[in-house]
Amino acid sequence: MKILRSLQGCVAGLLMVAATLAWADSLPVKVVDKAGKPLADAVVFLESPAARAATKAHQSAAIAQVNKQFVPQVTVVPLGSSVQFPNQDTVRHHVYSFSPAKTFELKLYTGTPANPVLFDKPGVVTLGCNIHDTMTAWVLVVETPYFGKTAADGGVSLEAPAGAYRLRVWHPGLPPGAPAADQPVTLPAPASLRVTLTGVSA
Amino acid sequence: MSSASWWTALHPRRWGLVTRIMVLTLGLLVLVQVMVLSVVRHSIGNSVRLNLGRELEADARVWQRLMDQNAQQLRLGTSVLVADFGFRAAVSSGDGDTIESALENHGARIGATVTVFLDNDFVVQGLGSANPNDVLAQTLAPIARRLANAPQRTEMALVNGRLHQFVVSPVRAPLPLGWVMMGFTVDESLAKDMAAVSGVEVVLTQQQPTTQPQVLYSTLPQGANAVLAAQAQNQPAVQVAEQTYYFRPVVLPVADLQAQAVLLRATSAAEAPLNDMQTVLLGIDAAGLVLFALGSVLLARRVSKPLELLVAETERLGQGDYSQPVKDPGSEDEVGELARAFDRMRLNIQANQAEIRQLAYWDRLTGLPNRAQLRAKLQQALKQAQTDGTETAVIMLDLDRLKHINDVLGYTFGDRVLQSTAQRLKDLAEYKGGLAARMAGGEFAVLLPQCGPERALEVARLIVTSFEQPVAFDNQTVDLSAGMGVACAPLHAQDADVLLSRAEVAMYAAKRKTMGTQLYDAALDTGSQLTLSLLSELRQALDQGELRLFLQPKVALHDQAVVAAEALVRWQHPIRGMVPPLQFIPFAEQTGFVRHLTLWMLDEVAHHWARLQTPGQAVRVAINLSTRDLMDQEFPAKLDAILARHQVPRSGLCLEITESAIMDDPERAEATLVLLSSQGYKLSIDDFGTGYSSLAYLKRLPVDELKIDKSFVMGMAHDESDAKIVRSTIDLAHNLGLSVVAEGVENAALLQLLALLNCDEAQGYHISRPIPADDFVAWRAGWQAQTAAATGTDTHHTPQDPTGA
Repeated sequence: MKILRSLQGCVAGLLMVAATLAWADSLPVKVVDKAGKPLADAVVFLESPAARAATKAHQSAAIAQVNKQFVPQVTVVPLGSSVQFPNQDTVRHHVYSFSPAKTFELKLYTGTPANPVLFDKPGVVTLGCNIHDTMTAWVLVVETPYFGKTAADGGVSLEAPAGAYRLRVWHPGLPPGAPAADQPVTLPAPASLRVTLTGVSA
Repeated sequence: MSSASWWTALHPRRWGLVTRIMVLTLGLLVLVQVMVLSVVRHSIGNSVRLNLGRELEADARVWQRLMDQNAQQLRLGTSVLVADFGFRAAVSSGDGDTIESALENHGARIGATVTVFLDNDFVVQGLGSANPNDVLAQTLAPIARRLANAPQRTEMALVNGRLHQFVVSPVRAPLPLGWVMMGFTVDESLAKDMAAVSGVEVVLTQQQPTTQPQVLYSTLPQGANAVLAAQAQNQPAVQVAEQTYYFRPVVLPVADLQAQAVLLRATSAAEAPLNDMQTVLLGIDAAGLVLFALGSVLLARRVSKPLELLVAETERLGQGDYSQPVKDPGSEDEVGELARAFDRMRLNIQANQAEIRQLAYWDRLTGLPNRAQLRAKLQQALKQAQTDGTETAVIMLDLDRLKHINDVLGYTFGDRVLQSTAQRLKDLAEYKGGLAARMAGGEFAVLLPQCGPERALEVARLIVTSFEQPVAFDNQTVDLSAGMGVACAPLHAQDADVLLSRAEVAMYAAKRKTMGTQLYDAALDTGSQLTLSLLSELRQALDQGELRLFLQPKVALHDQAVVAAEALVRWQHPIRGMVPPLQFIPFAEQTGFVRHLTLWMLDEVAHHWARLQTPGQAVRVAINLSTRDLMDQEFPAKLDAILARHQVPRSGLCLEITESAIMDDPERAEATLVLLSSQGYKLSIDDFGTGYSSLAYLKRLPVDELKIDKSFVMGMAHDESDAKIVRSTIDLAHNLGLSVVAEGVENAALLQLLALLNCDEAQGYHISRPIPADDFVAWRAGWQAQTAAATGTDTHHTPQDPTGA
């Protein structure tokens, strides 16, 4: 699993290097809660008409079930991406979603189901397991290629071409159905940006 | 205890002690029992109240637990529902109809009457109810909101007039979609459960802020409204259908109104075992009462029985029976000690009474019964005689000369005379079945039961006979004599006192007549009181020395020589002066007192006799004897005794006896006179011619002298017949060998005439009046001188017989 993570990190790193190389503008963002504590797993993305047009689906995303937990818990995919749900536990899972962005059900299975799930509507999809109530995961479907997820220190750096964007920030701690925080931002930005999510409860 | 003694124990006479002990014991016992019972009752009341309170407390917890369990069940049902994938899928569908049908379906599955789905903002999104409406939705939303904040709680509400209990559960898919709240009616089912589980009655009440409280549901068949009233009045208990219920309200968590589950427990169930205990206690009390009653009766009888014995014994003592010792009940306790104290008292009283009786009823000197005893015995005898129809006689006797004996021989001697008399009377009385008693002084009485007059007189004669033996002590001899009166009941009197007084009257009559015995006769009784007073006065005169001896000289007619004198008594009364003899001598003769006078005279004469004598001429002193003296057979002895004492020769005296004195009892008089004469006394017939004594009788008498009554002598000077009587009397006397004395010589002519008639001696005022004895010698000297002068020196001439005989 660690290998996978490092793989992901490598992929992300390569992409960012590529972006930097292409447009050469980066925006470091730090997300904190209203108490000022860094928020990990916050999804930060930039929206603009140009960005929507530049959206490209990913096919390699996967949300594994390990030790009756979804891993990772928060996943960001561009619109039209398909996500694999490999079951690495010995018990079966029954992954479902009643979210309007994507309603689906993967009935009791082991291993990786043959068909990955296609996320074809933007929005927040909440995943649960009908067998194990404690298993929860989120998939954020975005219409932009410029997105990132905060690390444990609440920081993330977005790479995008210069221009005017709307900076959106979302976190699972926000109330169900609440929209992502939204603020205008123009690249290249003079310095790093600090975003406070007041709706997240500790 | 036998039934008979039971009966005696209940006899009113015993009630005093027994009842008092019983009433006291039982009263105290009842008091204690009442106190115990009231405490027990109070405790039972308290205990019931306390127990019920505790039980209701537990019941409240049970109720709470029941509610919790109910809620838990609901919650379980609800959570099962919200976990159902289909339900979650339905809810997630957003289709209102689907949601509502799912709610209805699942609610029905677990018996909920209300099932509702609310979103996260507590807006009702679906209502699974048979009869949904807006009011209901508005009611439910706030409840759900409150419960959502504390999902473990439960809340109740009034829905469609019925109590519902609500629980909520969140719906997650997997994030919270909202809330499902389910409601269940709890009134009847819960109350019934409660009643089944803990046996309490449950009344559910509710009160809106603006309304009166009302009953929602009650397990009581009726009267649930009374609970509301009792609650309103803050009473701990309520009366329903003849049962008392204690109750405890449990507040129900109902929104917007006050609701209570009032739990009620009937006292009857709690009281039942205690009432059984109380019944047992009452039984024990009753048994205790019976036992105590028996015990106190026994105890009281232990005390009262010996006391009764003592009461009977003291009553016996009270009636004067001291002969038997007081019965000892035999116990060592106080009662036994009391009995012994009573016996000591009996002995003391007996001794005292004996002494008192001795003093009261016995004469100490003689040992005879006294007047009081005689009187009492006489009363008894009279009573007996009345029943038997027999007669009773009393002889009363008075010793003669007792005073004299005391005076002369001393009181010691007098006492001996009395004792001797007493002994004789006692012996005689006992012999005759009678009772002798000393009445007073020399007075004795003999009571003779069943005795008539004849036998009484016979006894009297026996007494006289027994008295004939003189009393002798220390060389002194005293003759006993007494006057006796006899009275008989019922002949003379019925009453003891009257009988005694009649016997006394008879006794005095006997003494008057100087005859030994007199049977009572009514004729004796007149004036006896006067007689008694005179007699005592005369007795006093004798005692006080008021009597004087006077002498009237007698002279020999042939030579005028003083040859004799007649002794006469005069009474020198301290107040009345000289009392003439006629005023007391006849009385003294009547009463018999004259005998005392005679003896006094004898004593006086004997005393003076020696001085009267002259060497040439003896002077004879004449003393008058009364009938009584003659009747006294002891008289000669007494006479002798006196003369002997004064050394007077018998010839020195002349005893004058009137004709009448002799004629009272000629035979006895004759006997006495014969005796006296034989002893050498000179005897003279006094007042000769006035009586009716026959010469033939006179001839038999051993007399030496006749005294011609002065009536003849004084009449002689002018009455020829008197002169003849005097002359013939003198002749007659001389023929019989008697000398003659003439009384009433009041002048010289008579003296000369008598001398002529050859009378021997003369006495009268012409010669001398009676003169005090002490003056006699002087008078004689004068007389001798006078006669010597008249007749020259020859005093020894013999006068010539005037009659010439």
